[in-house]
Amino acid sequence: MMRESQGDKTFGVVNNILLLLFSLSCLLPMVHLIALSFSSQSAIVSGQVGLWPVGSTIQAYEKLFENSRILTAFKNSVIITIVGVALNLLFTILCSFPLSRSYMYGRRFFTLAIVFTMLFSGGLIPGYLLVKSLGLVDTYGAIWLPGLVSVYNMLVMRTFFLGIPEELVESARMDGGGEWTVLFRIFLPLSLPVIAALGLFYGVGHWNAFFNMLIFIHSPDKHNLAVMVQQMIMSQSIMQEIGNLSPEDFKTITPESIKSAGIIVMVVPMLLVYPFLQKYFIKGMLIGAVKG
Amino acid sequence: MFKSRRFQYNIPLFIMFAPIIAYFLIFKFAPMGGLVIAFKNYNFTDGIWGSAWVGLDHFHTLFTNPNMLNILRNTLVLSFLQLVLGFPFPILLALMINEIRRSWFKKTVQTAVFFPHFLNWVIVGGIVITIFSQETGIVNNIMRWLTGDSYPYLYNTGSWLAIFIGSGIWKSAGWGAIIYLAALAGVDQSLYEAAGLDGASRLRQMWHISLPSIRPVIFIILILSIGSIMEVGFDQVYMLQNSAVSQIADVISTWNYRVGITGGRFSLAAALGFFESIIGLILVLTANSIARRFNNGLW
Repeated sequence: MMRESQGDKTFGVVNNILLLLFSLSCLLPMVHLIALSFSSQSAIVSGQVGLWPVGSTIQAYEKLFENSRILTAFKNSVIITIVGVALNLLFTILCSFPLSRSYMYGRRFFTLAIVFTMLFSGGLIPGYLLVKSLGLVDTYGAIWLPGLVSVYNMLVMRTFFLGIPEELVESARMDGGGEWTVLFRIFLPLSLPVIAALGLFYGVGHWNAFFNMLIFIHSPDKHNLAVMVQQMIMSQSIMQEIGNLSPEDFKTITPESIKSAGIIVMVVPMLLVYPFLQKYFIKGMLIGAVKG
Repeated sequence: MFKSRRFQYNIPLFIMFAPIIAYFLIFKFAPMGGLVIAFKNYNFTDGIWGSAWVGLDHFHTLFTNPNMLNILRNTLVLSFLQLVLGFPFPILLALMINEIRRSWFKKTVQTAVFFPHFLNWVIVGGIVITIFSQETGIVNNIMRWLTGDSYPYLYNTGSWLAIFIGSGIWKSAGWGAIIYLAALAGVDQSLYEAAGLDGASRLRQMWHISLPSIRPVIFIILILSIGSIMEVGFDQVYMLQNSAVSQIADVISTWNYRVGITGGRFSLAAALGFFESIIGLILVLTANSIARRFNNGLW
């Protein structure tokens, strides 16, 4: 390694400082919200809260969880995510395995037809009318079914399947195994990292589901966290209802604390899986980047 | 022929694939057919096929409506700004991350900048509203401390626009950088060594080696983003808009939601959706054919 010139050293330092600043800007807003959610009313109103709670209190969380609506929403989010991911993975596997087999009839045709749906779609209204005519409005079917297979994720998995050596398939055939055996005994065990990655991809999508919840789910007891938090942010009266707050309560808690607490409740599960997300996501993205 | 080995292999394959065919036909291709309601007067009792044809009436209604010009303009302005300001950012970020020498610092930066991608717009919008609020937001607290004055950032079109574009970049830049980072990881290291021996500074190496090596990827991402120039995401606008900025914040997706879903004027909204999809398709195809002339096409 050569000695670095003065200019290169300066470049390296400036580069690192700029990146450090941008990194901080990505994390600090969340830290600020955590601080707000634990701060007292007087501290927030007088603008003392920065990155650390002032006048620590857990009142905002107590108020939120006193009422069962936020717990119901949390439970709904969990159900939507778990069932959704299971369905997504099943259908993504069933789609990508046949399309990765060179001997499949019409493989090229089916692949092109499916990729075409990435470029052109019926759009919002026909999709909405379809869900409505299938009687799925106000059921989670409306959330799970229209997005059963993400074409992008499917292509990632197909690319991975294409990389599995053909000899393994041959040897399974020698032992008398059919396609299902090849899929379940060979492909799936080898693809666990990719399945985990895609499961997380889909999982984040379901946890964050907002628009489809907004247009398809009307019963408040079926709402997920995203919709509930959105309503709390947008309307003080809904916040009062969700938090079961009386005007008296606002003398000790600010709406800001409650909003922040709601947001934090929604972010915490994401933070817990974030280390895995990062590990697998990047792997998944890199597999996808290889043209299949 | 039906005894052939290939045919035998295909039976189980198509048993697996049958639900997939059904899924794509029902949920992807049927709605494409459902677009015919853009040329009909759709109502629930007659259904999609029974409703009366009205030809291009809905398109006529749309484009003679002065409000619609405003919506289209807003959509184009917002997404054009998003593209012009937002597109270079992930590239720059990737080039800069690629220059980090210490691997622990590289990992830390990546961990931080990818994070906002996993937050949905409800959260990001909530953060933005909290931080920029005039009474209690931290930005105005600092402003008041510095200048003694506060400013309604979210209620003024200029600053709202900056916040809108900025929050989009904040959320997506790190994630957008991944694909470029992957491409940069594949660059032959001996190129940098050779350039270094010839006395090229790190900045010049970045410009003459790193950037050209990721050019094909840049083109691919550019084509894809040009295809979505008619789309401004619903969630972001829905979370950030307010009555003071609706003149510039009302876009196709929010109009479609308001008029189509909540207003029940399905045919009219479908006509706009159809228009949007067609323009998007034409844009992708055009961008691709231009890129192909430079040997950087997507297909």
